[in-house]
Amino acid sequence: MDLRPHHFILWGLFIAAMLLMPELVSKGTLRTMIFACYLAMFAISWDILSGRTGYISFGHPFLIGIGAYTTAILTRRYGFPVEASIPIAVVVTMFGGLIVLLPALRIKGSYFALVTLAVMELMLQLIPVVRPDLTAGTRGISRLPALTRGAEDGYYLAVGLMLAIALFAWLLMRTRLGTALWAIGMNEESVRGSGLSTTRLKSFAFLVSAAIAGLAGAFYAHHLGAVTPRSIFDVNLLFQIIVACLLGGQAPFLDPSLAHSSWCFCWRTCVRQSALRWSSYGHFWSQFSLRSRDRAGSLSMR
Amino acid sequence: MTVALEVRNLVKKFGGLVATNDLSFDLAEGESLGLIGPNGAGKTTVFSQVMGELRQTSGTIKLFGTEISGLSTAQRIARGVSRTYQVPRPFADLSVRENIRVGLMPDSLRAMIFGAADKNREAELAQSIGFSPADLERPASELSMGDLRKLEFARTLATGAKVLLLDEVFAGLTTGEISQIAALIQDLRARGFTFLMVSHDLPAMEPLVDRALAIERGTLLAQGPFAEVLSDAAVRASYLGVA
Repeated sequence: MDLRPHHFILWGLFIAAMLLMPELVSKGTLRTMIFACYLAMFAISWDILSGRTGYISFGHPFLIGIGAYTTAILTRRYGFPVEASIPIAVVVTMFGGLIVLLPALRIKGSYFALVTLAVMELMLQLIPVVRPDLTAGTRGISRLPALTRGAEDGYYLAVGLMLAIALFAWLLMRTRLGTALWAIGMNEESVRGSGLSTTRLKSFAFLVSAAIAGLAGAFYAHHLGAVTPRSIFDVNLLFQIIVACLLGGQAPFLDPSLAHSSWCFCWRTCVRQSALRWSSYGHFWSQFSLRSRDRAGSLSMR
Repeated sequence: MTVALEVRNLVKKFGGLVATNDLSFDLAEGESLGLIGPNGAGKTTVFSQVMGELRQTSGTIKLFGTEISGLSTAQRIARGVSRTYQVPRPFADLSVRENIRVGLMPDSLRAMIFGAADKNREAELAQSIGFSPADLERPASELSMGDLRKLEFARTLATGAKVLLLDEVFAGLTTGEISQIAALIQDLRARGFTFLMVSHDLPAMEPLVDRALAIERGTLLAQGPFAEVLSDAAVRASYLGVA
């Protein structure tokens, strides 16, 4: 999509509103917005892999969890400074994801989604029992070093990080590589038939997605001050990420962050009742099946 | 005379079904060969084996003297062979220009990220195949079957391959579109491109090929000048249904 002047105006207004927000809202709302920013980063990460290539990942919290747990273990158990633990967490997430999830890219469709979901559930079960001396089992690791003091500083850090990640992803996807990834989502065989190695392209998308998930997961852990298996390897978190991308139209990168912010507000403020939450899941599945039907329709057209 | 494509003793079995049965043929550089046969004869299976989309059970495939059986599809295309599909496979949500862009992309992540798209070349390819400048930004999902087939041909040309396998390139096209594609093929032949062509539109195919090769159930029936092959008794019996 070519940029038009009104896009710049809209984004300028959005960024200005985000920066002015601490002057306009209460501390409680600001904390909700910090959460929204981190979820937007997770949504962008998911979108790079699943929104573009069509490989729907249900295991993204697994990648977020690797980043969160790596920085938590390094800082609390080994006394690493945060400046070192976060970059290491990014590398470990890329490497860990590569070993566990990359082989799954050889399978397609719902099978890929199921394998990734299984990996996330496996982590939820393994974390409490494997090396509890490091992970503190189901209690999780608490008293992580904070990166900021107060809601306002935390908010600016989260907004800055989210905008930087969104800009990076947007610039990357405006290249020919972004076009090729999008083409994979439409017809992988045709991309291969155009002389491109789809395995290499998917691996790259996966690594970028994992790096962002690891980075955001590590910052998120320090924002929360604690990580527990239930707070990270959580199907609710997964659904929020996917719903954000569906509301944002999956592929256009700046949209998921916007959509996710609005979604998170709905979630946190209006949809706390479980009946409403399940109706939201219903909305998600209906959107998901509609999109799947559209995709199947365009495939059959070919 | 350089042999562009050399197929020797090609066999492809799907369980008990023999789809390609000890097929051998040569395609000289700059030559145009028509591959004909009834539905289910195994023509597309031959294409798929040449492109590496299907691995042959046995036999060899050489491109410009180099064995390519162990190479991936992308590696084969990089070595100069590409194909169109019987049913067009466009990227439905991408524009005509972006569809062609995918074919022009180098198979290198660095070049894809840091290199700019060659918009002039994209437009040139689109126009050479009959798209107007206004069509460039149209999404492929809005194109007619004829335009989809032209788009597929343009993307195949964009890969830079000199040996082109055209599968039912005239299917679904109007008389005017057939003339346009035929003129383009003649132009490419004059520029040294090599063609292996499948089509059920024999009158449209005849002026575009130097010779023909007829198969049935994966087995070679006859090869030689187009008229001779068509008048071969076995070919007439199997393909045309007349003795």
